[in-house]
Amino acid sequence: MKRALYLLVGALGALVLATAATGAASETGVTSSQVLIGGTTPLSGNASAYQSVAKGAAAYFRWVNAHGGVNKRKIKYVYKDDGYDPSKTADKTRELVQQDKVFAIFNSLGTEQNLATRAYLNALKIPQLFVASGATTFGKDYKQYPWTMGYQPNYRAEGTIYGRYVAKTNPKARIGVLYQNDDYGKDLLAGLRNGLGKKAKLIKSKQSYDVTDDQVQSQVARLKAAKVNTVMLFATPKFAIQTFVYAQKLGWKPRVYVNAVSSAANIMGLATAGTSKKQTEGSISLVFLKDPTDPKWKQDPGTRLYRSIMKKYKGGNPNDVYAVYGMSVAHTFVAALKKAGKNPTRASIMRAATSLNVKNDPFLLPGMTVHTSKTDHFPLDQAKLQRYHNGHWVSFGGLFRVR
Amino acid sequence: MGRRALGIALWVAVVAVILVAYAFAPRLVSDFHSRDLAEAGIFFIAIVGLNLLTGYTGQISLGHGALMAVGGYTTAALMVHEHWRDVWTIPLAGLTAGVVGFLIGLPALRLSGLYLAMATFAFAVAMPSLLRKFSGLTGGGQGLRMLEDAPLQITGLSGTVTIFGHSMTQNHFLYYLAWGIGLVGFLIAWLIVRSRVGRTFRAVRDSEVAATSAGINLAWTKTFAFAISGVYAGVAGGLLATQNQIVNPLTFTFLLSIVLLVGTVVGGLGSLPGMVVGAFFVEYLPDVSTHVSTAPGVPDFVYGAAIIVVMILLPTGVGGLLKRVARPLTTRLYLRP
Repeated sequence: MKRALYLLVGALGALVLATAATGAASETGVTSSQVLIGGTTPLSGNASAYQSVAKGAAAYFRWVNAHGGVNKRKIKYVYKDDGYDPSKTADKTRELVQQDKVFAIFNSLGTEQNLATRAYLNALKIPQLFVASGATTFGKDYKQYPWTMGYQPNYRAEGTIYGRYVAKTNPKARIGVLYQNDDYGKDLLAGLRNGLGKKAKLIKSKQSYDVTDDQVQSQVARLKAAKVNTVMLFATPKFAIQTFVYAQKLGWKPRVYVNAVSSAANIMGLATAGTSKKQTEGSISLVFLKDPTDPKWKQDPGTRLYRSIMKKYKGGNPNDVYAVYGMSVAHTFVAALKKAGKNPTRASIMRAATSLNVKNDPFLLPGMTVHTSKTDHFPLDQAKLQRYHNGHWVSFGGLFRVR
Repeated sequence: MGRRALGIALWVAVVAVILVAYAFAPRLVSDFHSRDLAEAGIFFIAIVGLNLLTGYTGQISLGHGALMAVGGYTTAALMVHEHWRDVWTIPLAGLTAGVVGFLIGLPALRLSGLYLAMATFAFAVAMPSLLRKFSGLTGGGQGLRMLEDAPLQITGLSGTVTIFGHSMTQNHFLYYLAWGIGLVGFLIAWLIVRSRVGRTFRAVRDSEVAATSAGINLAWTKTFAFAISGVYAGVAGGLLATQNQIVNPLTFTFLLSIVLLVGTVVGGLGSLPGMVVGAFFVEYLPDVSTHVSTAPGVPDFVYGAAIIVVMILLPTGVGGLLKRVARPLTTRLYLRP
């Protein structure tokens, strides 16, 4: 029934587009000198720290344009403010489609935000590429939503890795989880259970918070009261920092697993500054980007390229790892656009995006590949574990697949 | 021509201008842009209702965003769970929010001024969590997405809508719907304000003691003002859900309540025509402020600064300015022989 309705939406949507587009000679949003893409990001409001992703990506596109563009076309990337409100995301995405007539929606940010526009974009057969969310559904449900694709290692896989690692290295741990009460937090939690397998009973306490809350003090106190010694911190930066601070106030030092969303060096730096080196020491997280504040990458050509682009093309604060993420995802988009042929169409870029094998992304950890296929809609599925030691992340172990 | 005839002619002219503006405004902008106009119309409805409560009855509400949530979720839930067509849910959205408005009006009997503001604010703050809690009905943190779960209930899914043989785009339809309801709501509010009920509202606002001694039932007046204002907010919420085809707790945070109050104050407390300007102000200010600069923190700063500047320049809002400009003209009409 639902599928049938879908087809209907698709058919009707195509009709609208057919009347809107003038002739079949060129694709919407593509001219001989330009490809127009757009996305949404929170420029205002509570979550506005995430806008660095869009700004990093925009800086990279400007750099590409300055070096000739792609097939002599410049990439014009417009990002609009949705204030992290999914209804506004829906509205602004419609504006990008109906008013600005973009070729594709690129890297709109947020899980609920992208879910809010997925049906609309798929009905109109508009690519919703490399969405900035690790929710598993964006990679998993490609049969129902063939025009949508995620980017970063998915949350479920990330949780699975933490689970496996704890089960292996500390089978007697007492685990407490602090998670955001939405798809993102629940995905990580489901992954953790999956990774623990038979040891899922090690989870002694689960506490959640809502995005709109302002603090998590009582949740942290409850975790401590449950005599937990290992905390899974599946929370966004603000709440992650708070957790360290409140734990210290309670005189409590559990081993903390910080999800990748919050483990950027600048965030951990704030958490350390708000507490002590002792409090954050030994935290564990996942890493897939070259953290620009990590001294290890100081001489790395990729990081140097990143810093020069950030400076010359006004990408914002170069120590913000979200900007590195933005550049990496922009790099992948450029790779897909190159592959989509001389005269890219929405269909051809989707074909390109589902047959990527990019080995030279300078912003990812050495050895990582952006790989997709018709049945694999998870572009990034490798990562390393890292441990926080003496104010820095130190990665350990090899790269592994996180599916 | 007698003064009376001149007065009537002036009224006819004003009504004609409003109707012409209503009919032709979308032709002046691009098709998509009429969607923004529609959203301004939705704000207009909500703040006209809020003005009845705050501007005319003197009861401050920081919880009207939550009443819009009640309306929006009524529309979405009826579409998704009961397969109602979107436009037919709107009266019920208004009614539900009216009942809820009545209920949150009850504390208003004991609280006044800042204390009432705090109580209604608490309602606004709790609303997103309440919406997440009853996820069977509301879809929890994901909200409800009508395009996926109730596509056949959406008017103009194919992009065009035909009414009485007249075909228009969906965006134009949304505009005419929002502002059509907005004009009717405005007329009703205008009639209320000029009626006996409106006079009791103002009496309560100006002095509760004096109102009581004049025989006005304080309890009834306040709860009625909350209920009627809730109906407006609910209708606005229902229209917002119809337009966005999605409802989510993040749309109805306490910020929405504050935005509505800002619109009312900028438009001018105790002025109905000023609400048009208030509605456009809150609709377009976010876009303007991100246009100034997208550097982190700047849009929020510009937004706040703009409100402060407007309040310094127009302490009585746009409505106060209109009155000041129009009074010499209109009094001349009425007073001079």
